[in-house]
Amino acid sequence: MGKFILNIIHRPEMVPEYAEKITGQGKKEDISRKDLLTESLDIFKLQQQIAHENGFKTTIQMTYASLFNEEAVELAKEHHEKYGDEISLTLLGLPCKEFREKYKTKDFCIWMFSMEDKKSIVNDVFEKFYSMFGFYPTSTGSYYMDAELINYIKETYPMVKCAVTSCWEEGPKAYRTCNNSWYTFLDGGPWNPWIPSKQNTHAPAASEHEDSGIVAIPHLSRDLLACFDGNGSNFGTHPQNVLRGMIYKNGEYPYLYNLIDQYRSLEKYNSGYAYNMMFVGPGWMNKMGRWEATYELLVKSYKDGMAYYGSLRDKNELEDMTMSEFADWYRENKSYTEPECALWKDILYGSDKQLFWYSDPFLRTCLDMNQGGAIIDLRPYIAKLERPIGIGTKNVHDASYPYLVQSMYRAGYFTHYVGEGTIKSCKISYEGEEVDLCLCRTKASFSQNGKDRVLTLDPVEIEFRDLTIKLVSTFTFTEGAGEIKISRKISGMSNPDAKITLNEYITACYGTTEYPEDMTGITLKLTDGKAVKQIDYNYKCREEKMTEVIEVEATIPQIGTRLRIRPADGQIHGYINEGYAFSPMFTLGLTKELSNEEEMITWLRLEKAD
Amino acid sequence: MAQAGKGRLNYRCPSCFMRDLDMDMFYDKQKDEYYCLRCQFTGNEADVLKGNDMCRIKYRSMLKRITVFS
Repeated sequence: MGKFILNIIHRPEMVPEYAEKITGQGKKEDISRKDLLTESLDIFKLQQQIAHENGFKTTIQMTYASLFNEEAVELAKEHHEKYGDEISLTLLGLPCKEFREKYKTKDFCIWMFSMEDKKSIVNDVFEKFYSMFGFYPTSTGSYYMDAELINYIKETYPMVKCAVTSCWEEGPKAYRTCNNSWYTFLDGGPWNPWIPSKQNTHAPAASEHEDSGIVAIPHLSRDLLACFDGNGSNFGTHPQNVLRGMIYKNGEYPYLYNLIDQYRSLEKYNSGYAYNMMFVGPGWMNKMGRWEATYELLVKSYKDGMAYYGSLRDKNELEDMTMSEFADWYRENKSYTEPECALWKDILYGSDKQLFWYSDPFLRTCLDMNQGGAIIDLRPYIAKLERPIGIGTKNVHDASYPYLVQSMYRAGYFTHYVGEGTIKSCKISYEGEEVDLCLCRTKASFSQNGKDRVLTLDPVEIEFRDLTIKLVSTFTFTEGAGEIKISRKISGMSNPDAKITLNEYITACYGTTEYPEDMTGITLKLTDGKAVKQIDYNYKCREEKMTEVIEVEATIPQIGTRLRIRPADGQIHGYINEGYAFSPMFTLGLTKELSNEEEMITWLRLEKAD
Repeated sequence: MAQAGKGRLNYRCPSCFMRDLDMDMFYDKQKDEYYCLRCQFTGNEADVLKGNDMCRIKYRSMLKRITVFS
């Protein structure tokens, strides 16, 4: 039996996001309206009541606004005494009369403030907290917390050990869903808790030297398939998000339980550990309802979600912890280099699609079994990119960690007309015909052998005009190595004497959004150990080839990353392809001729390029 | 013609929802009609509910309880 840990977090947000906009329709804005404040507190009380009725302790994240409300402060103290709730402090919920008078802004997202303001706000809210409770909080959070902010908090308030630091894959998709008005560009982080590095919150620390000093937890546990190609705020362990996605009928939402259960199942890939986080802001349970969901349905869904967690706890299949308790547990039970793995299946759309997600301090990636195990997402965590964010930097909004491959934003196998999209796959050719594994749907199984996490794909069959072959792909992730070993083995041929050619390739670029970036400055190289051929990217559609290569590589200075691919043995040809303006990508490839039962092994490695 | 307001519930535009856009609709009392500020959707409550059901077509496993995972 694995360990499934749950964090339940509530925040008395005196001016809930959404609520003022909805309940105040047709009224002049007034965030100190008494009815708004009263309702906000009532919702918080109700959420607490539901959790306590189910026997759970919560983490109460006091907002700055709530620290000015005597009743909210007294409630927190009382619930700490009575139920063991942790009294914590969030950097969400800043808006209130006092905040606006001091900072003279309507900004509310801590990562977007100038560094000077961030420090001032942190000092204000932490000191206000201390003045109300007589101690400093040991956990905090926001939708996103940048590394500079975390480092400052840790330096000033070293007792902080846990924080909500990011919303998984909440980026351009969420922005667009919200009519291009919700500025949380936070793509590219881990989906489950991690220890952020001092350099970049998304990128996990590889050592004590890089350790920011906190354990990060994601804002909600999100569907690893639906959120990759859809609005992140429809598919998470937030019952009202499920309603927002219209994933219910007649007051029933089995998807919510399926999502929780699939998260529980991840213990199979993570040494018996699984995690869930539930964090619903009061604005989602306001009396006016939320969009087409009535207040009654909003409350019912919260009660049902909590009751389901309660039923799991009653069967000893769940343990609830406060944020700080969880941070202690995480520190005691996890190492820096231990990866987070998730073999995830579609639980919503009725397909058999399966993805495999992998994250460690060196890389994050996703493989799509519907495309023969193609890599459809790749982020170079090893670069530990320092990207200050907020007013006064060159980057006010974009907190996403850059990709090398993101097949939803930058095409993948399928492109319109000409050009290529980002993908890592393999082409098989025989007598003038060519098949890409992206067109071979399959399934995968996971195994662990010591430090190796191995994903083995079911054999795929490839039909040529007068030859049929079977091919097995295996991906091995060795803990601490920062590389992926890829094996392609021919497990059968209708003509055992035939020879086919494999072309193991990656088409990549860099970016954080759906739009192309300037590729100038990227260099592509290949070498046989004696000679080197190089292309300096200039959109000229050039290609270089070499026989018996020992390595092909791309250096992308814009994201401080080097991407290397090397073969296991000789007799392998290599090539590098520059893109062009209508196809701003590059491709690295290795080709080899194979007979029946033969195997081609390559390694994909990411490095920091200084 | 008086200004529009909110209806009984804060319906979103089903046409926009189908393209992953959350757009609140406004309600025209005189015509008993919801309308979208971004696209050309107009309809009464029944039309909206019908549209919402169409949005759910893509969720083929929406009501299925799944117990076996990868």
